[in-house]
Formats: sequence, C-alpha cells, structure tokens
Amino acid sequence: MRSRARSITTPVAEIPLAPHFGPLWWGGLLVALSLVGLLGLTLVSSLIFGVGLWGVNIPNVWGFDLINYAWWIGIANGASLFAATLVLRRHDLRTAVNRFAESVALFGVICAGMFPIVHLGRPWLFYWVFPYPATYQVWPQFRSTLTWDFWAISTHAIVTTLLWYVGLIPDLATLRDRARRPLAKRVYGVLALGWRGSVRHWSYHQAAYRVVAILVLPLILVMQSTVAFEFATTLVPGWHETRLPLHFVATGLVQGLSMVLVIAMLLRRFLRLERYIDDYDVELLGKLTLASALVCGYLYFDEFMAILLSGPRQQIAGLNRMTGEYAGLYWAAVVYTVLIPQILWIKAARRSVVATVFVGLGISAGLWFDRFSLIVGGFQRDYLPSTWRSYAPTITETGLLVGTVGLFAALLLLFVRFIPVVSMFETRHDEHEEAS
Amino acid sequence: MSERLHGVIAEFDRAESLEAAVRDARDAGYTRMDAFSPFPLRETAALLGARPGVVFRIAVIAGLIGAILQYGSQYWMNAVDYPINVGGRPLHSWPAFLPSTVIVAILWAGAAALLSMLFILHLPRLHHPVFAVKDFERASEDRFFLLIQSDDPRFDLPGVHAFLQARRPTAVREVPA
Repeated sequence: MRSRARSITTPVAEIPLAPHFGPLWWGGLLVALSLVGLLGLTLVSSLIFGVGLWGVNIPNVWGFDLINYAWWIGIANGASLFAATLVLRRHDLRTAVNRFAESVALFGVICAGMFPIVHLGRPWLFYWVFPYPATYQVWPQFRSTLTWDFWAISTHAIVTTLLWYVGLIPDLATLRDRARRPLAKRVYGVLALGWRGSVRHWSYHQAAYRVVAILVLPLILVMQSTVAFEFATTLVPGWHETRLPLHFVATGLVQGLSMVLVIAMLLRRFLRLERYIDDYDVELLGKLTLASALVCGYLYFDEFMAILLSGPRQQIAGLNRMTGEYAGLYWAAVVYTVLIPQILWIKAARRSVVATVFVGLGISAGLWFDRFSLIVGGFQRDYLPSTWRSYAPTITETGLLVGTVGLFAALLLLFVRFIPVVSMFETRHDEHEEAS
Repeated sequence: MSERLHGVIAEFDRAESLEAAVRDARDAGYTRMDAFSPFPLRETAALLGARPGVVFRIAVIAGLIGAILQYGSQYWMNAVDYPINVGGRPLHSWPAFLPSTVIVAILWAGAAALLSMLFILHLPRLHHPVFAVKDFERASEDRFFLLIQSDDPRFDLPGVHAFLQARRPTAVREVPA
C-alpha cells in the first residue's frame, strides 16, 4: 500500500518539479510566445488605430471578432460541460482528464473574453455595461443581449478560475511537500494555502467542489445560449432562429471534447502518462467525440430543414451559405466536423495519436468554419439587396486569431510544465477504493 | 517553553487503521483531535464531526441573494429609475431580465461555496504546528496521521502515548506548539 501510493504520486509530481525540461517544450513555448507577441501587436494597434484596421463595415459589422469569440467560448464551454458532467457522475474518466479539461476551459475563456472587449470600438469604456452610478445618470439597457454577455463571460471566468484553483490546492500541497529546491517549495507552499490534508478539510473541500460542478452545468447552458441569443435577437436572416441556442450548445460540446481528446493524446505521448490516461479513457473519449460529431451532423441537417421551411429571404441567405462565395467554408465545416470523425469507428484510429490529433484539430477548425459561415453568410444576403457586400478579414484580424491560438498554446505549455496535469489525489483515492 | 505541546500525533500506513483509531479515540472520550490523509475519507470525516452539507446551504442562500439583487436592480434601473419606452413595449419585460439573473445567481452561489469553504476551514493558514512533525510531508502522499490535541479535556501525556501506541501505528511523535 505504502509503496503503491508513493509510486502513483511520483511520476506525475516529478514533471512540475523537474529542474529541466526538454528542448521540444522550449521550442514550443518559443513559437507560442512569438505568437503572443503578435497578439500584443495586433491588440495594441487595434486600440490605437481602432477597428478601422479590420475588414468589418456596414453591413458586415461582425467579422473575425465575433467568429473567434464564438469559437473560443465554444471550446471553453464544451470542456467545462464535459468536466462537470464527469464530476457529478463520479465517472472514472474524471481522474484522468478533469484537470486539463478544466484548464482548457479556463484558457479558452481567457482567449474568448478578449474579443468582445476589443470589438467595442472604444474598449477602454467596456465598464459602461456594468451598472455603476455614472455621471450621466444613465443605466445600462438590460434588455440587450450584450449586457447578458458581460455577466456570462465574467461569471464563467470567475467560476472556472475558482473551481480550477480550488481543485488544485491538495495537489499543490503534494508538490510543496516533495519539492527540494527552496524557491519551488516556497512558491508551491504559498499557493497551497497551508493545506495539511485534514480529513475534515477534505470533506468540506469535496462538498464545495461538487456544489460548483453542479452549478457549472446550468451556467454553461445559459452562457452558450446567451452567445446564441446575441445572434438570434437580431433580424439578420439565418441568425433570427429559435434553434440557434441548441446549435451553439451542442456544437460547442463537440469542440470542447475534441480539444480534450487532442490534449489527452499529446500528454499521454509526450509526458508518458499512459498509466493515468489509459487505453480505456482514450477509447471512451474517442467514442464520445464520435457521438457528438453525429449530433453535429444532425444539427446541420436540422439547419438545412429549417432553411427550407423558412421564408424566401432566409432561403436565399441559407442557400448562399451553401453555394455562394464562402460555400467552401460551409462544406469544409460539414466534412471536418461530421465526416472525418467517422474514422473513430475504427478501434485502431481511436488509439492512434496521429489519427485522433488530426480528427480533433479538424473538428476545431471545422467549427471555426461553421461560425464563419453563419456570421458572414447572414450578412451577405440581408434584406436590402443594395447592401449585399462581402467580408474579408484583414491581416490585423488574422493576427488576432493566430495570436490567441499562440496564447492558448503558451498557457497550456506553462500549465504542463508547472502544474500536475492529472489530479494526484483523485488517482490515490481511486487506487485506494479499488484496493479495498 | 519546550514543554508546551500542541498534541501527540500517530502515523499509520493504512487508511483502515486510521479510521479504526479515530473510532477508538472517540469511544475513549477524546474530543479535540484531527486526522490527516492524502485523499478524502468520508466516514472518518463524519466521525470527526464534519458537516459539509453547510456548504450547500450557503450556496443556495447566496444564489438566492444574488438572483434577487440582480433581478431587482434590473427592474429598478430599467423600469423605475430610467424608463426607456421602446416602441411601447412593457417596461417590466421580465423574460429579458432572466438570463443575467440566472447567471449572477450562479456567480454568487459558486463564489460563496468555494470562498466560504476556505473561510470555514480557516485557510489560508500557511503555518501549523503539525508541519514541524518529522515525516508529516507524507500526509500528502501515502501516510495517515491521527493527532490528539493538548487542549483536549482528557489529555494527559503518558495516557495519550499509551492509547496511541495501542493502536499499532508506525510511529508516535509529540507535536511542539
């Protein structure tokens, strides 16, 4: 028992405490940080010169800003929803994947939160949506979906951060106790808040963790619906649909799952964590991704039927998405999110790193194409034919997108380096339950 | 000075031994004690008088307060203090007030659950006498500890030593205050 518990903790704890990390990690971090630099550059230039640097204009008032926002928040929400479900079901898979599923959610919401703020045009006044007693004596308009979004993003960010950190405290204490270097001991010691593993503390800790996991479920559903409402409450053809919240929630789930799958496979491979993220876990993740890809396929079919059943304006806008200028993106979305994941029916594909990473990243890219098609397609065939214009992103907008991908990658690499990627105490608990 | 003790601590290598020891200590009439483990032990926590249900109640109450505040402020700001007539639509348009009411209720409940948990447990507390005990760092890995505190009404040093030794621990140590 003794040696066993120790041998569980050691490999996971050794990773953050290792004095050196391979050149691959440094190379990856360097690339990611240079993209973060690009993000800084494009953000600052968007602040100084304004959104005139972007390709958005009447009628295409929303472009990459909202596409990227909806995309990142989908990743964050999907990963959160998945993690919370596993905790509530006390599913074995949670031990293996929860820590980094929550991290994906946290880093996703950081990337997402940036876009609605820069897109305001005068981002330094973003606090105007908060109801504070302003000198103009005007209150925010709470009937606007944009104020709902303010609450949704800030709540998501706060609750995800708290949940992630509180779940981490006992593992930070393990790192504090195992650290040899004084600096590491001190930093982990302060972050562990003096956790001493009291059995009483454990029971309150677990209770609070489960309460918040319960709360995350409705939060994610409301939040993802709020994102969809931002579109649905406008009159733009293709957006003004009651099915949109369902579309966003369900396609967000496949996005989050695919990202968790990709990271699970990479961690397993590069940190040699096969014992913690075992074949069963990977198989199950692959099957879940496949199932949610089928749901995605159903939603595309439903969207098609909704277009056929709607008015002539909506039909023109809908058919334009499938045959117009950006038809390639619409069909790419279908191929990447529904057709390619079908290879996960094959057992060998579910276990192969190359295949799952390809499918997972493909799903993420496909969902980005879907958001692009939805947002740009709606404007291209608005009610007034005289305003029919197209939209193309500028280099600044592309820089913002690539920059957030870099930020996400950099945060993930730092997470892998300094924080135990698999919950050590959950693993100990599981092995204890199995033994007894 | 050196005679002041925080308590006496026994080290076990099995969770089952710890649970049995806690049960015996409770039966022997000790009340001021604590147990330490590398992972949650629900039954042992219940023996030690943990009532984690309070976290759930705090979350519900905080969520209700958050919901009332959010709904009330939306109503007051948009329908009373600064009414805007948009095409004759009702000022008190409650469906539009619901999404942020739900979200803010979750914000209050979630933050209250996690922060009140830390508050109840008196964390953060970076220093604690048990950290000075030899090998206590293994409480976060693979060892289980039972501490009987010196402020227990039944605490007498030789008696506690004898009691803990009888539970067959791997070690018994004194914890300086």
